[in-house]
Amino acid sequence: MSDSKSGVFPVAGRFTGSPVRRSEDPRLLTGRGMYVDDIRLPGMLHAAFVRSPMAHAVVLRVDTKAARSAPGVRAVFDGQEMAQLAKAGGGPLGDMGGEGVESPIFTVLATDRVRMMGDPVALVVADSRYLAEDACELIQVEYQELPAVTSAEQALDPRSTPIFANLGSNVLQGPTTERFGDVEAVFASADRVVTASLTQHRHQNVPMEGRGIVASFDPATGELRVNASTQGVHGVREALAAQLDIPLEKVHVRAGDIGGSFGLKFGVSREEVAVAAASLKLGLPVRWIEDRNENLTVSGQAREESFEVEAAITKDGDILGLKVKMVIDAGAYPGVAPMLVGTIRQMIPGPYRMEALSFTATVAITNKASYVAYRGPWASETWVRERLIDLISAELGRDPMQIRLRNVAVRGEPPLRMVTGPSLAGITAQESLQRAAALIDLDSFRERQELARQEGRYLGVGFGTFIEPAPGPRDPDETPSEEEMEQLRMRLELDGTVTVFTSQMPHGQSHQTTLAQVAADHFGIPFSQVKVVVGDTDMVPMGFGTGGSRSATMAGGATLHAARALRAKVLEVAAQLIDTGPETLNIIGGMVAAEKASTRSITLVEVAAAAAAGDRLPPGIDRELEVNFAFDGGAGGWSGGTHCAVVEVDVETGLVRVERYLVVEDCGEMINPAIVEGQVRGGVAQGIGAVLLERSAYGEDGQFLSGSLMDYLLPTATDVPQIEIEHLETVRLDADVNFRGVGEGGMIVAPPTLGNAIADALAPFGVRITEQHLPPARLLELIGTMDA
Amino acid sequence: MKPPAFAYRAPESLQEALSLLADHGDEAKVLAGGQSLIPLLSLRLARPTVLVDLARIPGMASISESDGWLVMGSMVREGHAERAPLVGRLAPLLSAALPFIGHPAIRSRGTVGGSLAHADPAAELPAVALATDAQLVATSAARGKRTLPAADFFRGFFETALETDEILTEIRLPPLSEGTGVCFQEVARRHGDFAMVGLAASVRLANGTIADAHLALTGVAPQPIRASEAELALIGASPTKAVFEEAGQLATRGLTPPSDLHGSSGYRTVVAQVLVRRALRVAALKAGADYEELDSGRGDLR
Amino acid sequence: MSLSAKGLSTDEIFQVELTVNGERREGAVEARKTLADFLREDLALTGTHLGCEHGVCGACTVLVDGEPARSCLMLAVQARGSAVLTIEGLAQKGELSSLQQSMWDNHSFQCGFCTPGFLMQITALLEQSPNPTEGEVREALSGNICRCTGYQSIVKGVMAAIASSNPKDVS
Repeated sequence: MSDSKSGVFPVAGRFTGSPVRRSEDPRLLTGRGMYVDDIRLPGMLHAAFVRSPMAHAVVLRVDTKAARSAPGVRAVFDGQEMAQLAKAGGGPLGDMGGEGVESPIFTVLATDRVRMMGDPVALVVADSRYLAEDACELIQVEYQELPAVTSAEQALDPRSTPIFANLGSNVLQGPTTERFGDVEAVFASADRVVTASLTQHRHQNVPMEGRGIVASFDPATGELRVNASTQGVHGVREALAAQLDIPLEKVHVRAGDIGGSFGLKFGVSREEVAVAAASLKLGLPVRWIEDRNENLTVSGQAREESFEVEAAITKDGDILGLKVKMVIDAGAYPGVAPMLVGTIRQMIPGPYRMEALSFTATVAITNKASYVAYRGPWASETWVRERLIDLISAELGRDPMQIRLRNVAVRGEPPLRMVTGPSLAGITAQESLQRAAALIDLDSFRERQELARQEGRYLGVGFGTFIEPAPGPRDPDETPSEEEMEQLRMRLELDGTVTVFTSQMPHGQSHQTTLAQVAADHFGIPFSQVKVVVGDTDMVPMGFGTGGSRSATMAGGATLHAARALRAKVLEVAAQLIDTGPETLNIIGGMVAAEKASTRSITLVEVAAAAAAGDRLPPGIDRELEVNFAFDGGAGGWSGGTHCAVVEVDVETGLVRVERYLVVEDCGEMINPAIVEGQVRGGVAQGIGAVLLERSAYGEDGQFLSGSLMDYLLPTATDVPQIEIEHLETVRLDADVNFRGVGEGGMIVAPPTLGNAIADALAPFGVRITEQHLPPARLLELIGTMDA
Repeated sequence: MKPPAFAYRAPESLQEALSLLADHGDEAKVLAGGQSLIPLLSLRLARPTVLVDLARIPGMASISESDGWLVMGSMVREGHAERAPLVGRLAPLLSAALPFIGHPAIRSRGTVGGSLAHADPAAELPAVALATDAQLVATSAARGKRTLPAADFFRGFFETALETDEILTEIRLPPLSEGTGVCFQEVARRHGDFAMVGLAASVRLANGTIADAHLALTGVAPQPIRASEAELALIGASPTKAVFEEAGQLATRGLTPPSDLHGSSGYRTVVAQVLVRRALRVAALKAGADYEELDSGRGDLR
Repeated sequence: MSLSAKGLSTDEIFQVELTVNGERREGAVEARKTLADFLREDLALTGTHLGCEHGVCGACTVLVDGEPARSCLMLAVQARGSAVLTIEGLAQKGELSSLQQSMWDNHSFQCGFCTPGFLMQITALLEQSPNPTEGEVREALSGNICRCTGYQSIVKGVMAAIASSNPKDVS
């Protein structure tokens, strides 16, 4: 069993593959991080929003008079005034997305309509947040309440009140159907068809730091300087320039330390646009720090999908094909839901050999918070598939592990592709399943389970397996677009250190450590001599930022290749200086030296100085000791693995204790095993939270019920068990870059793993689990000791 | 999420504090440990005009013994009580309940009197006060001191018998009779959360039968309640699983617990029954009941 | 009776004098200002983080007279005369404390936002109970929320710090 200090990989370099201590930590452990809320600018003002107390209403009148003359108030903006200053954009991830999808029309602050609880109606800017909140209370808003559409089911009813007038209905997209393979023939040949209705409840990111922005417009220069809590600075810059209608070159966005995100902080939210617009109008710095109630109520929520599934199977348990109908509850304003349809559809076969799939998707608009990306946004495919496999196993009276092993695709054997298209090259699903079953010792667990049941104790074991496109297989015939490439700049500084400029925007992923590890090894200097610059649109290359578990491969790979290219340049210059061939030289520990001791060595400082001066070098030599590298992802590949949970359910109270949690995973070559394991465990903890604790709850009238951390329950140190991790040996697909992403997998597969374990524990009660969220009261209902 | 403006005084004598309350009536609010009040202020759910901070009044945080009674000033911090040997010796049920209150950083500020006066229906200390037949001393400028039995103190949802000009100044817990075992249990979504259901229980055994039983439940009614019917039925009975099971049924008879996001009324009813059975078992064992006899029949879960 | 008639006002300014990280500090605040905001805004000690402002997440935990307290659940005026220790006071003369060092060695944290609260709560725990079991550590930390790590690395860091401070304890 591995710990961070005993990774199974051979150490690639001195740093890559080792649990190098993080360079981020000295500042974070001493309270010297710089989060957006820590920024202090002279004359900085503070913003607060007036928000809708109703889920759906017409805004009849907004009276801001009293607030404007309240103590410390510098400005008040209602929806109409804000509409003059800023255009509403497409929300967290650009437009609502998807072909043939009409965009809903709305404003930055509500003008005519509020569409969810907490919808921003007015903005107050004051000398302190205290005074801004005081003034918010003086703003009178008259509403005419409309019937709230609080479920996808209601939204799909043509009689429901359209939430966006220009759309005419609450169906944003669909139903659209795609078919792969001969679905009808496969179902006709099946011995039986297993059906299930599976639901995934609404839950959300809840980073410990909410959203936030400090916007500072200088009327003298026309420059807008912004500090943001974001996963990518360029996206913020582009969105603000477009929505405020100012030239891109006048907008500068920086980000410091980010207190987590998990998918929430992409692009700019309506609030952030409003705050920037206020700064533009006032010519003063304005700060908005989202409070926890705002964060829970309006920042965005995720995951609310329901599925009708039919599985064509043989009597022996071969899964031949699936028919899936999915409905997404996308909430009120543009989010990522329509973009996810394609990913969920493509990923639902997972690592299994099925021959046919029919997938129908509908996206509904409701009066709830917008659908945002949350760690493995497409994860419902894994939830549905892995729960379904256990339901199939139960119907056949077979062990789910046997059914999984029977159906899983085996590396190198047909089919070489998922039925939906992507290559299955390099997958290790079979290995991870077998290893997990061995580590858990399934046979002896079953004996222990039986004994426990005789004592009235209910233990269960559950497995889940997944593959994650991190970055996903590369089709050699396809050239990636410029946006898909990862750009990176690296240069040798005059002091002999190396600086890496990356568009990655770490918010816990430790890129300032991992990219420095890779750069140090492949350039040839100590880890401490590499500086990684992030979060400044004036300095870092274009790129979408950190998300989608892309960084390890894309930024890790870009760093590797850039370091090699920079090294070649440095050797070229050094060779001139010491009059030898570059092929005889090497960079070791900050010195350029010949492999044979006969030639003299030279320091990197000397090389950098000579390159800058140029007088000792012949004309024609490239003196620019800086490289820009765009990486296409190399051969790409899957991350994946199998998780296993052992639980005990107290059938009298419905409380679940996770007794053991085991991960067997494959993320390729690890840059820093301690960081990899931190990502895996963090994801598992969120998955445990989703099943046992977390739910974004709404009342029938659309009132949001979980607006505090006493209502939205995050897992704590007593809820999350020790999580054991074993890493599988790397299948090398690329000559150089075999790091694969690991950010999302834990969160993707933990919910079905835990659900399967709970279902196994409750098998003696004949419980059939088809929902992801299993709080204690619900378990007693399922067990039957309490009425639903 | 910032508190609204309020006037503030931190008087250095009880008289001064009482006179502030007398002057401002229900516009004033007493600030004890602040662990419930300050979040309500930050959420702007409470809007007192004047806060009267008791922390600078000398002598309100003492713990002492008087004729076997535990006597605590209302400003005793919960963390202090938790670590005080005298509390452990004289009031084991209180000792058992204290670690269930929030988390260490809450208990180091939160006060025993503040929790009782706040009267959250899910809070631990009101149940302990009820189960132990504690006496609560209320003081006002106009009427001086009066002593209220805990049974008369809790009046409803966040409602107590305290008048707006009164301060809860002292809490007295009676000595425990020989042969008494206690148990505090609760079922919460997470460790440290307000419980969905909590139970403070004590059982006194004499010659192998139950001589006395006290059961105070939280989370099943607008205020903490004693399960009197169950207590009566237990007296004279043998400590067996069947008897405890029956006590659980009786404890919830006629109750319609409130529902919330975390537990429905039905759930709380079922769990209250389970807790009564489990807590009685533990209390009876501590009181000296025989394991074998108690657990005869099908094995108990806890 | 009106407030002003009793010499009271909701916008009265209070002088706050206290010791923070061993230094005497002072400020002038409205009664409603929380200790957290006072530390962050008035004393520029931004290491104390606000994660929920309603006393659940623990990010703002500081030590007040040696005991852990949520600085969002205390008013600055309540802290008058107290000795407050914040995350900025843990490292002495630029040297990480043994706890900070252990958390660094064990990759305890990721985004760092909850970190100050955890470190202060752990400091308080180890003051009161120098040799806790892993279960006791988890229980003591269950009022501090970390959304990144799943807690294992934090607990590991604490246990390592305990082990390194008890070199003779071979158990």
